[in-house]
Amino acid sequence: MTTVELDEHPVAVPPAHPGHWHVTWHGVRTVAALELRQRVRSTRWVVALVAWFVVVGGLTLLISGALSAVDDGADRQRGALLFAAVTFLVLGLGLLVTPTLASTSINGDRAAGTLATLQVTLLTPAEIALGKVLAAWTASCAFLLASVPFLGFAAAVGPTPWWSVLRVVVLVAVLLAAVCGMGLGFSALVARPAGSTVLTFVTVAALVLGTPLLFGVTYPSVEQTESVQVRVQRTDDVTGNPTTCELTTQQRSVAHTERTWWLLALNPFVVMADGAGTSSSLDQAEARNDPLGVLREGVRLARTGASATIDECWGVDGGRVEPTADAPIWPWGLGVNLLLGAAGFVVAVRRLSLPQGKLARGTRVA
Amino acid sequence: MTTQDAAAEAAGSGTTTDDGIVVRGVTRAFGAVQALAGVDLEARPGAVTALVGPNGSGKTTLLLVLAGLLTPDGGEVSVAGHDPVTAGPAARARTGWMPDAFGTWDSLTAREVLTTFADAYRLDRAPSRRRIDELLATVHLTEYADRPASVLSRGQKQRLGLARALVHDPQVLLLDEPASGLDPRSRVDLRQLLRRLADEGRTVLVSSHVLTELEEMSDDAVFLSRGRTVVPDTSHGVTSPGDGRRTFHVRALSLPALTAWLDAAGAAWRPDEPWTAPTTGPGGVLVEVNGDEGAAALIRDAVAGGVPLVSAAPAAGALERAYLTLEEERR
Repeated sequence: MTTVELDEHPVAVPPAHPGHWHVTWHGVRTVAALELRQRVRSTRWVVALVAWFVVVGGLTLLISGALSAVDDGADRQRGALLFAAVTFLVLGLGLLVTPTLASTSINGDRAAGTLATLQVTLLTPAEIALGKVLAAWTASCAFLLASVPFLGFAAAVGPTPWWSVLRVVVLVAVLLAAVCGMGLGFSALVARPAGSTVLTFVTVAALVLGTPLLFGVTYPSVEQTESVQVRVQRTDDVTGNPTTCELTTQQRSVAHTERTWWLLALNPFVVMADGAGTSSSLDQAEARNDPLGVLREGVRLARTGASATIDECWGVDGGRVEPTADAPIWPWGLGVNLLLGAAGFVVAVRRLSLPQGKLARGTRVA
Repeated sequence: MTTQDAAAEAAGSGTTTDDGIVVRGVTRAFGAVQALAGVDLEARPGAVTALVGPNGSGKTTLLLVLAGLLTPDGGEVSVAGHDPVTAGPAARARTGWMPDAFGTWDSLTAREVLTTFADAYRLDRAPSRRRIDELLATVHLTEYADRPASVLSRGQKQRLGLARALVHDPQVLLLDEPASGLDPRSRVDLRQLLRRLADEGRTVLVSSHVLTELEEMSDDAVFLSRGRTVVPDTSHGVTSPGDGRRTFHVRALSLPALTAWLDAAGAAWRPDEPWTAPTTGPGGVLVEVNGDEGAAALIRDAVAGGVPLVSAAPAAGALERAYLTLEEERR
């Protein structure tokens, strides 16, 4: 060894403008690689992935078999149902697995005594937080990728267009990223890993189960009797055949769901159904057999609420005006989910910033 | 890294007071608990400074402030010429911190742990890889380099933690109880390593409960008690080994007989355990003697004078005694 080496010996150089939000790919990759290495080696990773593959595959085949037993012959109808089932299965299982991946990444490290030593390095808080989210998200995406073959299989059976598979995968991935962000935020806020995991699950449950429940509970309060415009049909006095449509004003009980539709829009499953875009290429009869399409139409109608004219002019050809509910709602739901994830990320960065003024109750720094 | 290289480096970088640690009136409270209530400390480059104090005296809190993890409520801190609060990254880039309790990523190998930290300090890959090999050799973990950290013993993990704190070649080292869990051989190694690092011109601040250990390796000592720096009664010299005067610990079967004889002989003495009440039975005192010859004369005269002498030996643990003279109780 010579003195020459000392001149080039590694000197730690802080970034020029080392703000807490400064992010470099190098820093994020360092943290993510660390997290993934630790996770992949310390858990029965391959076992979990294989188990996932078997469960999703098995359920897909079971559903497929059950559907063909109930309703044989109509492959196209069966396909739409199967695709919806597999989509919801993948999303549901993803929402079950992902909270456990991200929700202990900060307080778990703190408990293990590895966080502070990482914080005192030149990694910025944003890099640490982003690296942790990236690692958790990559892990959850591995599960998602393991279920792609079955989504493909379900799409191959029926009328589902191939790009619906792509849209489902992207949407699930983005939703899981949002859940990772929420989990990270809770893991920064709560001292105990068990607590943050529970809080993340509660949040996901609130989005999945709480929103339709709240929508149902608030339904009576938005329902009221008022005068609305109704399109009715006039029938021929002699033949009894419908002839023309006529606009009348009637007292009806209507639900102003345009005030509460957003509750449904927050639901990841609604986001999924609306964003998958399955039955837009189907004719009406098939759309009624596509749960994703039905859910989508239902939520879009709820958004329209009682503001539209009620159409009861069924009999006249070309007389019925299709309810215009074409505006997609999934961007709203996805946006709110992502905002929640981003909020979690911001909380994590703030909690990781040095030096710390306040400490979470019951924690030591080191 | 060899000593010559290190010396060359020290000469090249030039040690100034900026490279040390300066703490002035630092306070920090956790809720109602005043962990630091006005700490003044100066650790100079090229020296090992011992941080001594009872449990809960604020040692770890002070080190957390110095490492840039905690904001002090008041006071000034300068680490290697940078304020850890306002210039955090600049200070942290020059600071190696080894906490008292820390974990390792169990699934990573020792080498991977160090590589990760080299990356986290944004070091260049090629030189840092060589440095990591050297560090692994320094802490005697070369044979464990590619084994997962989970197989390491507590002492080996402690050594890995030390290597981790050194990975970015810091100017200032903050070590919180570095010797805990180390076997005697590793303690000697640690002592020599810290000595070498200090000789290279680095500032080394060590906290420990093993006071004899600290005494052997430290040049300066700072005492903390109830969050304050206190100056113990160091009239008998915490840091001055050597010249002519030495302190001997003399024990006899009868303390009164011993002290009476010393008074008659005109020798200055003081109780060895000033915090306990004087006894009439066996006991010991500390006597300043003039080198080994003075000690031999003292023993010869005492025995000749009929004092029931049990033992006479150089008093160890000047640091320990200074520690014990701290007036404040532990809490």
